[in-house]
Amino acid sequence: MIEPLEIETKLLDFLKREVFAGNVVVTPETDLIASGFDSMSLVRVLLFIEQSYGFWIPEGEITGDALQNVRSLAATAARILNAR
Amino acid sequence: MNLTELIEKTAARWPQKPALVEESTVVTYGELARQVGELVAQIRSLHIDTGSRVGLAFPNGIAYVALTFALWRLNLVVVPVPTECPEEEIEEIAVAMQLAGILTPKPRTNSVVVAPDCYFTKLNPATPPDNHGLNLAFIRFTSGTTSARKGVALSHETVRDRVLSANKAFGITPDDTVIWCLPMAHHFLITIVLYIEAGATIVLARHVTAKPFLEAVNHWKGTVLYAAPFHFSMWARDNSAVQIPSVRLAVSTTCALPQDVANDFFKRYNHPLVQGLGVIELGLVALNTAAPRKKSDSVGQVAGDFQLRIVNPDADGCGELAVLGPGIFDAYVAPWVPREEVLCDGWFFTGDIGRVDEDGFLFLLSRKTAVINLAGRKVFPEEIEAVLNRHPSVSESRVYGKLHPHLGETVEAEVVLNSPDAKLYTIHAFCREHLASYKIPTRFTIVAALPRTPVTGKIRRAASVA
Repeated sequence: MIEPLEIETKLLDFLKREVFAGNVVVTPETDLIASGFDSMSLVRVLLFIEQSYGFWIPEGEITGDALQNVRSLAATAARILNAR
Repeated sequence: MNLTELIEKTAARWPQKPALVEESTVVTYGELARQVGELVAQIRSLHIDTGSRVGLAFPNGIAYVALTFALWRLNLVVVPVPTECPEEEIEEIAVAMQLAGILTPKPRTNSVVVAPDCYFTKLNPATPPDNHGLNLAFIRFTSGTTSARKGVALSHETVRDRVLSANKAFGITPDDTVIWCLPMAHHFLITIVLYIEAGATIVLARHVTAKPFLEAVNHWKGTVLYAAPFHFSMWARDNSAVQIPSVRLAVSTTCALPQDVANDFFKRYNHPLVQGLGVIELGLVALNTAAPRKKSDSVGQVAGDFQLRIVNPDADGCGELAVLGPGIFDAYVAPWVPREEVLCDGWFFTGDIGRVDEDGFLFLLSRKTAVINLAGRKVFPEEIEAVLNRHPSVSESRVYGKLHPHLGETVEAEVVLNSPDAKLYTIHAFCREHLASYKIPTRFTIVAALPRTPVTGKIRRAASVA
């Protein structure tokens, strides 16, 4: 079992480092889309998850709800990973 | 001729027709032509010499379109600069393309205001560019090392010819509404310019996840979708019951369409995905509107006024694809190589290996072009190699596309290190500093040596690997 919090921490670190500009404040509850998270950011996060955990989040799971913030994204990833 | 004639013609015929929709803003063709005219006046006051090259570093939007046409009206050459580019890459493009200046939505050092949220930074190229008497409209920067060609130049006439040819295949009319989600900095001519020429409405979809995208399609009664396999894959796996009855044409572009995506999309929407072959030097060469399901792995029959030839076919009919037709590029840039020196009796040798079946459908077996397609973004290996090779621990490198079931390709690199103590993470950090994020290789492999061509000793360009 993997804890959502573990993925959340890793994702947050990745987003801060690689996706958002230095001046954007990102917390687990930050509204991603409103902060400039675009189609390319999505591709990079999906690739990061694939590299880190060895699975691709199925396209049917990539919804507005899952992409709301880092917490919801991590929860989605953890749910899928733990069901495997 | 000048490409602004296309927008003027459309605006005169359908002034009230919506041209572009961005969020809640709807701009008619009449209004778009007026905005272009205003920008023309503002940019004219900057006194940029005719024929100068101007970098356009804008995100998707109405402004992107209006600025392109305004620059064209003033006989300035548009050089798209993807917004993801860090400062150093912008600098590289500016020097290689001899930009007279760059337009950005945010102020830069020494920039002047052109319009609200539009700034011009004057640059001083060491030598003014020579367009060799051509009526240039557009240069696609393709990077390249010092010896390679760094850009592909197209004249106004060439862009018009390829737009008109491509539309014989797409058949876009004023009744069409295109739902757009690709970056304009990478896709513009046989798409946005074509839609404008045809008088279609372009809806800029900001959110590409299934729910908001499907909402946009149905709200605006979209008839044409033009996106990468990555997008279609996401929409194919949507588990709502929402259908897209207004869509008549869904084109999957930028890289080979995985068959499972094609099948899942058809199952979900009862609508086929159409593949095509677009080449930077040529425009739209083929489009599979005739048998998108029966021959779903074909890029289709020859499009518009092009002719295809398979050179030196083997026993199975496979050989190099050569193409003849309208809208072939005018010249490579930096160094300047006119198309006459590249073409062979008018034919352009694409480097792709393919075959044509008895019904004239083209099947590509390997795309020899080095460009990597990552979910709709074009990535040029030479550019990444140039950065890697500057790292003190890297003696040489090779960058290639790795086939990815969801994204088309991802970027990977092989590096030859000059010290056993070299650390890969420092190379990764170096890339982060010098490259747009989507160009950073997702995997680095340390190798002892790179494969070379036997005669010239050049590093052998890798085809995409599975």
